Amino acid sequence: MIASTVIALGVSALGVNAPGPLAIFGLAPGATVLIGVLAFACWLGWRLGGGANTKIPVGIPIFVAAAGNDPRFAKLVSRYLMSACFWLLLGSAFGLLVAFKLVDPELLTDSSALTFGRVRPAHTMIVLFGWAGLALVGMGLYVVAKSAWLPMHQPLQRWELGAGNLALALWNAGVAGGVLLLLSGHVNAGREYRMFVWPAMVPIAIAVLLLAVLVYRLLARRQVKGVYISGWFILSALVWIAVVVVMGYQPRWTSGVADRVIDGYYIHNAVGMFFTPLAVGLTYYVLPKLLNKPIYSYALGVLGFFTHIVFYTVIGTHHYVHTAIPQWLETTSVVFSVAMIVPVWASTGNFLLTMKGERLAIAHSYSLPFIVVGVIAYGVASLQGSAESLPWVQETLHLTHYTVGHAHFAMYAFVSFLAWGAIYGLLPRLTGREPPVALVGVHFWLALAGILIYVLSMCIGGEQQGAAWVQGKSFMESVRLMSPYLVWRAVGGVLMFASHICFAVALWRMRPGAFSMAFGHQGASGLGQGEA
Amino acid sequence: MAFNIHQSHKMILLLPAGMYLLLVILCAVVPAEIERQREAQAPPAPEHPLVEKGRAVFRQLNCGACHTQQVRGDEHLALEIDGRRIVPVLAADRRFASEATGSAHYDHEDPAMMGTQRTGPDLTGVGARLPGTAWHHWHLHDPRAVSPDSVMPAYRFLYVDELPADAKDYEEVGRIDGLTGGPKLYATPKAVALVEYLLSMQGVKR
Repeated sequence: MIASTVIALGVSALGVNAPGPLAIFGLAPGATVLIGVLAFACWLGWRLGGGANTKIPVGIPIFVAAAGNDPRFAKLVSRYLMSACFWLLLGSAFGLLVAFKLVDPELLTDSSALTFGRVRPAHTMIVLFGWAGLALVGMGLYVVAKSAWLPMHQPLQRWELGAGNLALALWNAGVAGGVLLLLSGHVNAGREYRMFVWPAMVPIAIAVLLLAVLVYRLLARRQVKGVYISGWFILSALVWIAVVVVMGYQPRWTSGVADRVIDGYYIHNAVGMFFTPLAVGLTYYVLPKLLNKPIYSYALGVLGFFTHIVFYTVIGTHHYVHTAIPQWLETTSVVFSVAMIVPVWASTGNFLLTMKGERLAIAHSYSLPFIVVGVIAYGVASLQGSAESLPWVQETLHLTHYTVGHAHFAMYAFVSFLAWGAIYGLLPRLTGREPPVALVGVHFWLALAGILIYVLSMCIGGEQQGAAWVQGKSFMESVRLMSPYLVWRAVGGVLMFASHICFAVALWRMRPGAFSMAFGHQGASGLGQGEA
Repeated sequence: MAFNIHQSHKMILLLPAGMYLLLVILCAVVPAEIERQREAQAPPAPEHPLVEKGRAVFRQLNCGACHTQQVRGDEHLALEIDGRRIVPVLAADRRFASEATGSAHYDHEDPAMMGTQRTGPDLTGVGARLPGTAWHHWHLHDPRAVSPDSVMPAYRFLYVDELPADAKDYEEVGRIDGLTGGPKLYATPKAVALVEYLLSMQGVKR
């Protein structure tokens, strides 16, 4: 109900400033249908999420499963996630502002700090490095420790805990400083996903290196013979992003076409060599864990890992097809973009086949639905990306809002949903506390409805925008026909933001607690000692 | 014992890192260095301090979030006319120029503002397309006064109604709605430089 009210308010607020576009879509029927769908979604989330079968499959109470866990480690992981959640709320608030600004361009135009050109990169940088980066790395630490079979009463040595905390502090300082500098006019202009000026990126780079050393040491100390595939992805992602950041901020190739060669490389490697391998690596652990069965094919995972390196590294220039960048590089990037089908479907297929026959388990879990959406979105968004890279498709779709739709499809429906699936699935096992199930259901349905509205409106609108350009219509014509889709994008954004509030509350309820930790710190022998 | 990568954390660190570095050299370092060498041969850009200042304002406000500076062409249809290589423009971009932007267009430009999003029109030839200083000031001050359905934010903070005491490099701009009498409008030095930069974009260089 609260959610519906928020949406209704959001829709009517938009309506005030945009009578034209809403006339096309029909505000009243649209809003009514939307609120109906949401009410149904909330009810369904309640039904699916509720009930007695929501505990972990093995059937032990969660606080017993978490008994014996090192409380300092639980606090470390929880700190990463809470920082990530803070950045998610702030970053998506900036995102909403960007969306509203395109509906009402006069909104908050009186200061240069909140002008569109600065708020937009603030949004992308915060949600990329603040939210997705910290959430995936935080869960990554837990997954590496678990898959290395380290003793959970002390998975990290004392100085390693310190290094983890230091990395988090540096990372947060980098993002906070970067955003403040960005809003005050220190913009690394023209360079997407590295809009922070270099002083803000230095602490983040140091944090990445610290974390890479930490993860490497955990893997080296493992109590099993083999390194599980999740560890491959997580360790490599930290090494790769270090290279990507150095390449993005090196002072040698900063002008002319050379600058754009590096830019194309950077844009797609920052995303594909960091967020994708982290999200996929986590899922290789979370999915079999929650289903209590092995992954469908370990070999497919290894195939996916190595083809990911070979194909993904090269595809960046597809952001600059038909430009002054050397033709051979453009063509190579398109060919490798299509080849991305191999690593993507090696992992997507692997996950889907692992889920085969587990419909009941999925229906009774509050974390698995996130993973189902994330896995499907990974496969579909990547296919969409391969198609978008084709030169004749680029003629219509490139530079339009279609790209924005695709970027959100990938970073939200794929990466963020998998991050949430991992958090809801694993964090209770670490802290001994479960979130309110109904709230998680509301989070899921709001986020799903929001991202679907977002992606559909941007992709359909973007296609029309591009078609208008090809048909030679006036540029203003293409701006006008985009306006109803921009309103619907903002509606989707409001739903997504509302879901993030649910996530924040759920995360708070999963924080390491006094009881479970006191209970856990003593190990199994501490049973009955209570909170003393 | 036969070597097994699955059991060696060292190899799991080194092999993917090594493969990645090799590919980065092939797909980023080598082409970037080739382009850098070519750029070094190109004649230096003519000096124009006011345009450079305007370019800095353009970057600080990140106008490139919505405006590209690239006219896309199809290399496969390139023609040789009178010893000059012409790349035909894609249908979607024909409104902006009759020739695609070549590498010379971006020489010595740091960063090259090619752009990846075209929420507003391409700016490659905006100075030739819209040559009036007044129009640009009106447009920056109140985009919807001159282009009713525009979604561009207003840049009123670049303008003042009254000249400050130590005013230097300000420029008076006639109000679009106050041609006779009415309050005056002054462009700040930043706005003056920004418009100078916009007017300097005279079209495709190859």
